[in-house]
Amino acid sequence: MYTFKQISCSIPLIVWALTFPACKPRNAATTISSDAAEKVYVQPGKYDELYNFVSGGFNGQVSVYGLPSGRLLKLIPVFSVFPENGYGYSEETKPMLNTSHGFVPWDDQHHLELSQTDGQADGRWLFANANNTPRIARINLATFRTEEIMEIPNSAGNHSSPFATENTEYIVAGTRFSVPIGDDQDVPIDSYKKNFHGTISFISVDPASGHFKLAFQLTMPGIDFDLSHAGKGPSHDWFFFSCYNTEQAHSLLEVNASQRDKDFIMAVNWKKAEEYVRQGKGVKKKASYSHNLLDEKIHTANSVTETEVLELDPVALKDMVYFIPCPKSPHGCDVDPSGEYIVSSGKLAALIPVFSYTKMLKAIADKQFEGDYEGIPVIKYESALYGEVQKPGLGPLHTEFDGLGNAYTSMFVSSEVVKWNIKDLKVLDRAPTYYSVGHLMIPGGDTKKPYGKYLVAYNKITKDRFLPTGPELAQSAQLYDISGEKMKLILDYPTIGEPHYAQAIPADMISKNSVKFFKIEENQHPYVAKGEKMAKVVREGNKIHVYITAIRSHFVPDNIEGVKLGDEVYFHVTNLEQDWDIPHGFSVKGAANAEILIMPGETCTLKWVPLKVGVYPIYCTDFCSALHQEMQGYVRVSAAGSSVPILYGTNRKDADTTLAPSSK
Amino acid sequence: MNSKMSGTARLITCIASMAMIFVLFLPIWRIELSAPQYPEGLVLKIYADRIGGDVDIVNGLNHYIGMRTLHTRDFVEFIALPYIIGGLISIGLLVALVNRRRLFYGWISLFLLIAVISMVDFYRWEYNYGHNLDESAPIKVPGMAYQPPLIGYKQLLNFSAYSIPDKGGWIFAAAGGLLVLAGFLEIRKRRNYKAHHSPVPALAALLLILTSLTGCSSGPSPIHYGQDNCDNCKMTITDRRFGFEILTEKGKAYKFDDIHCLLDFIRSGRIPKKDIAGIYFADFSGNGQLLGQQSCYLLKSPVLHSPMNGDIAAFASLDSMNKYKKDLQGQLVSWKDLYR
Repeated sequence: MYTFKQISCSIPLIVWALTFPACKPRNAATTISSDAAEKVYVQPGKYDELYNFVSGGFNGQVSVYGLPSGRLLKLIPVFSVFPENGYGYSEETKPMLNTSHGFVPWDDQHHLELSQTDGQADGRWLFANANNTPRIARINLATFRTEEIMEIPNSAGNHSSPFATENTEYIVAGTRFSVPIGDDQDVPIDSYKKNFHGTISFISVDPASGHFKLAFQLTMPGIDFDLSHAGKGPSHDWFFFSCYNTEQAHSLLEVNASQRDKDFIMAVNWKKAEEYVRQGKGVKKKASYSHNLLDEKIHTANSVTETEVLELDPVALKDMVYFIPCPKSPHGCDVDPSGEYIVSSGKLAALIPVFSYTKMLKAIADKQFEGDYEGIPVIKYESALYGEVQKPGLGPLHTEFDGLGNAYTSMFVSSEVVKWNIKDLKVLDRAPTYYSVGHLMIPGGDTKKPYGKYLVAYNKITKDRFLPTGPELAQSAQLYDISGEKMKLILDYPTIGEPHYAQAIPADMISKNSVKFFKIEENQHPYVAKGEKMAKVVREGNKIHVYITAIRSHFVPDNIEGVKLGDEVYFHVTNLEQDWDIPHGFSVKGAANAEILIMPGETCTLKWVPLKVGVYPIYCTDFCSALHQEMQGYVRVSAAGSSVPILYGTNRKDADTTLAPSSK
Repeated sequence: MNSKMSGTARLITCIASMAMIFVLFLPIWRIELSAPQYPEGLVLKIYADRIGGDVDIVNGLNHYIGMRTLHTRDFVEFIALPYIIGGLISIGLLVALVNRRRLFYGWISLFLLIAVISMVDFYRWEYNYGHNLDESAPIKVPGMAYQPPLIGYKQLLNFSAYSIPDKGGWIFAAAGGLLVLAGFLEIRKRRNYKAHHSPVPALAALLLILTSLTGCSSGPSPIHYGQDNCDNCKMTITDRRFGFEILTEKGKAYKFDDIHCLLDFIRSGRIPKKDIAGIYFADFSGNGQLLGQQSCYLLKSPVLHSPMNGDIAAFASLDSMNKYKKDLQGQLVSWKDLYR
């Protein structure tokens, strides 16, 4: 008779079972302040406040966004071919991707650096690194085109690059993968410790032309160099690098390179290195590396092979390179705006060490060394340490600065950005990211005078942030307003490729210099046709050069005959327009490469080798005018032994005047 | 006669034994894991005969901290447990059939013993997995162990781990609870219905345990002035005289610095109205007490100058309101007046 009552007593148990999960702590919900939309809204027709240059990672390109709107403005092809505009396909741009390994059509683009004057971005050039086949590139910010690419010899995995000194005296390149260098490179992999070396390259940048020169290269022990940043102000003469794999592992690095409690921050006195170079202490060594340069006058790149490297040995040449112990595989290596504090983030460490430049100098002067690593002095950790940020979060990676005495560090594992004060090393604020933030960027955040105001987090994992697009998702970026005490998330947007480091600069520093079109009278391309009268078709053996002009809305010539199987046809297309935003495109049926986009006043060349007899249409691919759809023509391809003569022209009814036989 | 079981006890024994059949097939325990980059969460489900859920993903993550990988084949428990549960079921049905009180007590004891041993064993392997870490693990946090909680919640680096019985476990627990009750019934019966041996104290104790466990989700969450931000305007809540809170059915608290923000928040529809479990107002006296919406008195006066000019103050009683009313003027309003 108690049964029912007592059975009903177990009901609370079941109720408890159902409600228990409610006690579970919830993740912080996304809080968006109500004025977020206002802060990122750029009215139609208005410009963004900042240009934001974002590395493309595995797409090998650089994307340009406007901030704070997050609108994608442009993709600049740098290390990867770009069929969209013919970069790497046109005859003019093919040499740009030439290396000592031949034509390399792809790379992994990780970091960007704006050229600097007096420690601040000057808006002239943007530098980019290629991690896979080690290269650095210079992009002209007047044209947003890649102007120069130089291969880095004796290197693999050019990761700690292309960071610049305060006046862009040098940009640096370092080896993430140490490799055997010199004459005998056919060595067993397990002879790593004996035969493998890293190198740190200093590439000088001509202050007027921007041209690269590999000034000198430091030969280092075989460890992994990860990231770097130059000193500023008082530490102007120094460059700092993070190093991992001091265990010198060559297999299963995720375990074997994570064994030592401390790896290193490396400090390089590049002024001292310059001094040794002047004193002739460098050793010239043979090397072979490509140096590709775009000549604006002829709109054509030229690739030359450099043959020499000047090597400096930091073991023999004292007082130039020092190691500072740094906990657990440091990644980011960032110098604050004052130049006094060097922040390094051990990606597996539970704290963030902050080193003091003045303490480091004193430690060197007082010989506060704990020993040496492969002949390079190691400064005592405490002697160079300013202090440690305790419990900052999990997986610290990169740090940027707001110029107000605060640092912002990305936390990969705990998916957050943590704001902390540089002086007292206290954590001030945390903001969640969605998800697993890698790099972060504050406009000017690695310069002497940060612009501040915004912070962008570049995340590695996107998951549920946007509409799903199958297994492969875009990487995501989050924009935070950092003008107040608390960081406020104001925008979430997908990105292109895999963004790593990024840069941003106030828009007018660049927009005022932007080129609108190329002047046709300055075009010195060897195959230019500066007017329709100069259009022609010339046979040179089995090569046929078509000097073709494009203007709204026709090509001259647009009918071409006399091409035979076995011929190589070069369409040299000159865009005769002299107005802003009137590019023409050019493509031909069956072309095994891409289209080309020709800017006003420019000449571009598309190579075409027809494989079948027939008549092939050509047409403009960039919608140029109301009669764009009429901008088309034909090329007749005859059999190999055919007697069809070279004939060309536009509007063949006037055959006598415009369709002329070629001059043989 | 005395050695026979009561009908109730036999019925409960049958029900409990039959219910246990489900335990063989349903997950008994679950460990839920969530991290910022796993918004969807991961779960490990422990069945009588295997580990299920996101075992491969968890194994993939655990190697960073040097935890051994989880494999069903490494646990002798997964071989033994189905037999043990099967045995319990068979014995239970046998007890009901044979109908002997001593056997019945014996069975309950065995049941409870197995429950305790299982939990001890579970704790033991959680301990081993959490503490016996590979020395060469990439991530080593000094002093950090990764033992999941036996029951309840624990933060393990970036993962929050939440360990609770799953369906099978609840059935097992319910069966156990029923059996204990049936046991009490039998004892009570044997002692000739002595009034002072009513099962009520035992039941009360059980209920107390249960309610104390559910306690974490009831009542408003205190407002931390100067720290908590208003969930509507995002400004920090600083004025102790004006604090407002919405508590949802799930126990989540939204806090506000002004009635204006509270109303704005409700109207915005950010949480469905049906999810609102309670609305609370800070006592105007600034004593930190949160008053339920039904049990307080609201005064509206422009003299108040509340943070967002909602100008509503709450009092626990009319007396306390009248104390302030001389200075504040204003008028008594009801929640209905404010919220339409």
